[in-house]
Amino acid sequence: MSGVRETLAVCRYEFRMQIRKRSLWITIALLAGSLAAGRFGMGPRYAPASPGAPAREVMTRWAFLFSVILPIAFGMALADRLLRDRRLRTAELLASMPPGSGGRLTGTFLGSVTATGAPALAAMLVAAGYETVRRGDPMMIPWGLAAFAAVLAPALVFVAGYALVCPLVLTAPLFRVLFVGYWFWGNLLLPATLPTPTGSLLTPIGSYAASWLLGTPVLHAGIPGPLSFLRPEPTGSAAAGSIALLVVAGLIPLLAAGLLRGRWRTA
Amino acid sequence: MDIAITGLRRSFGRVTALRGVDLTVRGGMYGLLGGNGAGKTTLMRIMAGVIAPGAGQVRIGGYDLTTRSGRRQVQRRLGYVPQDLGLYPDLSPREFLDYVALLKGLDDSAARRRQVEELLDVVGLTGVAGRRMKGFSGGQRRRVGIAQALLGDPALLIVDEPTAGLDPEERIRFRTLLAGLAGQRTVLLSTHIVEDVAQTCHETAVLAAGQVIYSGSVADLTRAAEGTTWQMSSAGAPPIEGVVVSAVARETGTQFRVISPARPSPDATSVAPTLEDGYLALMQRHSSTAVG
Repeated sequence: MSGVRETLAVCRYEFRMQIRKRSLWITIALLAGSLAAGRFGMGPRYAPASPGAPAREVMTRWAFLFSVILPIAFGMALADRLLRDRRLRTAELLASMPPGSGGRLTGTFLGSVTATGAPALAAMLVAAGYETVRRGDPMMIPWGLAAFAAVLAPALVFVAGYALVCPLVLTAPLFRVLFVGYWFWGNLLLPATLPTPTGSLLTPIGSYAASWLLGTPVLHAGIPGPLSFLRPEPTGSAAAGSIALLVVAGLIPLLAAGLLRGRWRTA
Repeated sequence: MDIAITGLRRSFGRVTALRGVDLTVRGGMYGLLGGNGAGKTTLMRIMAGVIAPGAGQVRIGGYDLTTRSGRRQVQRRLGYVPQDLGLYPDLSPREFLDYVALLKGLDDSAARRRQVEELLDVVGLTGVAGRRMKGFSGGQRRRVGIAQALLGDPALLIVDEPTAGLDPEERIRFRTLLAGLAGQRTVLLSTHIVEDVAQTCHETAVLAAGQVIYSGSVADLTRAAEGTTWQMSSAGAPPIEGVVVSAVARETGTQFRVISPARPSPDATSVAPTLEDGYLALMQRHSSTAVG
């Protein structure tokens, strides 16, 4: 039990330190604001839902709109979280404490991911509040939370796993550059143009979850391409499978980092 | 907490930091002296469980540090101030101490808060306890370092170069604080400032090139320079013979303090050695033996 308490302690303070990052709030606010403004001006396929549309559809469209770009900000904000202990020279002190590296890693992951998701959740709640006032439907807020959990949260977990661990090998600036490239290639580029996971269960942009919530395929979900077994029809079970796969895939780098940290101690 | 180290070796790639260290510490304040690159920090990091020993035995309070469970047991009883202590700039000292206390397993929130406030008072940081640590001076950072090490009332305190970079007043304050803490616990003080050991420790060890070349009382180490410590004046260059410990310019010339087995000049007078003289005499003897 003491291991759990210590992990929660790391989580608590990692959350506190990350949530105090002004740059995180400003970036998410600017991106979410730009996306919201663009939605009214240009209104592509994730355009405003028609008047009288159910809360589920309205809020899924908001979540989907945000999921196009906000995960890039998640990746940017999380890229230095594990490196930071080395940079700030706190790593040695932490290594002399009873919690093992696994507990610290788990706590860092949970705390920093929760804090990084907070501004995005706030953006969703602002959107839900706006829609509640505009449409007079009190279900906007519960559906806003549900859409956040199904579309944005799995993207956050997936991105966080790689954003925390890859910079340990690549350095944070290089990871950030590569991650932006990956985001557009792996989520938005059509497989017909270049082999890409776009439209598959492993697409963190959340196309399967959004398609399921909207009841119609959006943003290439299930589009033919490489790894066809990862491109089923966008049903409810496929959406659940996509969420589970994204979460598991996001945890894999953390497990690898936990093993590597144990080896670094003896190196 | 007793410390018993036998045949400890540690390498980093091709560089060997420790070459068979044997050391026994039996509580109280214990000094660890040595030049840069002697292996002090590696030894401290092994004892703090930060890095694993390469070979040999390390037992602290009866716990075997080569095992995971032994390391955890030692870490539960340990307070550690690393040489290069970093702090989180976004946290206040109060928050940082609370965080460390939680990591050390102080779960009772009322007791934890009380201890944090007490330690902030002990190190004189109560006035800035709620301020973020961004911009703290070196002395303030060291004080936070000491306070976090004392959380949980550890039986073993490992302090690596705690006074490096501090002004003389802060240095004396720290020395006094550390010496006061040694009554009920083992305090291992690693430093290359001989004066810090002279003022606070009864026992000391000297490391050179990854080996312990002396372990015993501070008084005996001081005596290592008996009969080889000289004082002389010279109008010109320093003496060729021996190691110059100090040089003070005077109107009549420069007064030198020299460690030398033989009288360095006819007018040199033998003087009572200090710990610094004893340390230098030991290092001189060791280097001549190593070369020979």
